[in-house]
Formats: sequence, structure tokens, C-alpha cells
Amino acid sequence: MNPFDEELKRALQRVDPPAGFADRVLARTARAERKNHASASKWTWFFGMGGLRWAAACALCVLLAASGAIYEHDLQQRRRGEAAKEQLMLALRITGSKLQIAEQSLQELDSAGQPRR
Amino acid sequence: MVFSIAYHFLHNAAGAEEVAQDVFLELFKRLGTLESREHVTFWLRRVACHRSIDHARRNKIAAAEVSWDQLPEPSGPASENDPMRTRRLQQMIARLPEKMRMVVILRYQEDAGLEEIADMMKIPLNTVKSTLHRAHAMLRAKAEQAMGVKA
Repeated sequence: MNPFDEELKRALQRVDPPAGFADRVLARTARAERKNHASASKWTWFFGMGGLRWAAACALCVLLAASGAIYEHDLQQRRRGEAAKEQLMLALRITGSKLQIAEQSLQELDSAGQPRR
Repeated sequence: MVFSIAYHFLHNAAGAEEVAQDVFLELFKRLGTLESREHVTFWLRRVACHRSIDHARRNKIAAAEVSWDQLPEPSGPASENDPMRTRRLQQMIARLPEKMRMVVILRYQEDAGLEEIADMMKIPLNTVKSTLHRAHAMLRAKAEQAMGVKA
């Protein structure tokens, strides 16, 4: 190790933390521990006491919402189908009447003795 | 060790204490997962090094709050054990770019091996070698220039 390395080592020798550092770390650790304990107690309460009832109620709500959505989706599809059917029937009726008119025109032409084209 | 890494890196006692407290709190949470004394030491160094870099970035602590050229000139040639010279060298280290600074701290404060530094900082071994070489050259040149003594 050369003299400059030695100098760098001297410049970077370990520095002690300020007084009371260990106490402050311990106090912070204790605070964190209490906080963890408190949040763990909340979960314990949730699962131990009313939690299952809440979970069952939530599951029921989800089930109801899901069946409502499925029913609504079916209803809309049925409405769309009905509308398409009505449009088709209307189109067929219009086509039928047009064909009738054309047929009548042909019959009139035939009775007048004009050759068909 | 932890406080010292943060202190030399941040050059600020309050920031270093904050980082060191965070590291020890994290250690407390993970104590069960650490297997041996060596593992704990390695873990502490690694976390201290990353937390210090994060702290500097989060608080936008620039490496060069005072530029190299603003360092006060010495009144005369200093001896190798001169506390002023050591202080100036510390200031020069504090002005190195962050990764380079951390490599120098781990090497000269913690006496860490090059491979260990590469593991701790998650960088390739060759990068550690070249970074250390460049840092050494920069510091030596600056020390010669600023302190008037051949380092």
C-alpha cells in the first residue's frame, strides 16, 4: 500500500455516530414494532370477530352484482334480436308489395295484348 | 460502520443518522433471514451503501456543492499527517461522482475487496477496478495540485 493509499485510509477512517444514536434507533424500532402489532391486531379482529360475516356479505354483494350484469346483458341481446326480426319482417313486407305491383303491371300489359319484353 | 459509510458519502451528520436509523430498522425486520455474522456485515454494508445513494438522490444532494477550485488554498506545504490535509482530502472525496465516491469509501473505509464491492454495488468487477483507478488518479492529481505536495 503506497503513502497515498494510507492517506486515503486516514481520511476515510470510521466515524462514530453521535451520542444517543443507539437509543434513538431502539426507540424507533420499538415504535415500528408497536405499529406492526397494532395493524396485526386489526387483522386479527377482522378474521376473528366480525370479519367472516363481512366477508360473506361482500361475497353476496359481488354475486348479486354479477347476476344483475348477466341478466342485463341477456335482456339487451334479446331486445337487439327482436329489433332485427322486426326490421327483417318489414323489409319482407315491402318487397312483397313491390312484387305484387310488378305482377299487376305485367298482367295489365298482357291483357292489353302488348308483347312482353 | 453504517453511520460512517453514510457520513462519508453524504458529508452530513443528520442525513447520515437518518440513513443509519433506516438501515438498522430494516435489519430489525429482516433479522430472521440473515444467516451468519458475515452475512449481517455484508447486508449492512450493502444496504447502507444503497440507502446513502438513494438519500442523496432524493434530497438532490449534489456531489459538488463546492467545486474543486473553491477549496481553500493551504498556507504552506502540509505534512502527511496534517489534519488540514486530511480534511481537504475528505472534501475532495465528497466531491467525487456518487458511484466513484461509494467505491472509494467501501475500499478505503471498509477495506472491502474488489469482488465484494462489485457484489455490494451490483456492478461488474471490471467497472469497480476502472472506477477505483480513475478515482485514485483524480484524487492524486487534485491533492498534488491543491496541497502542493507530491502524493
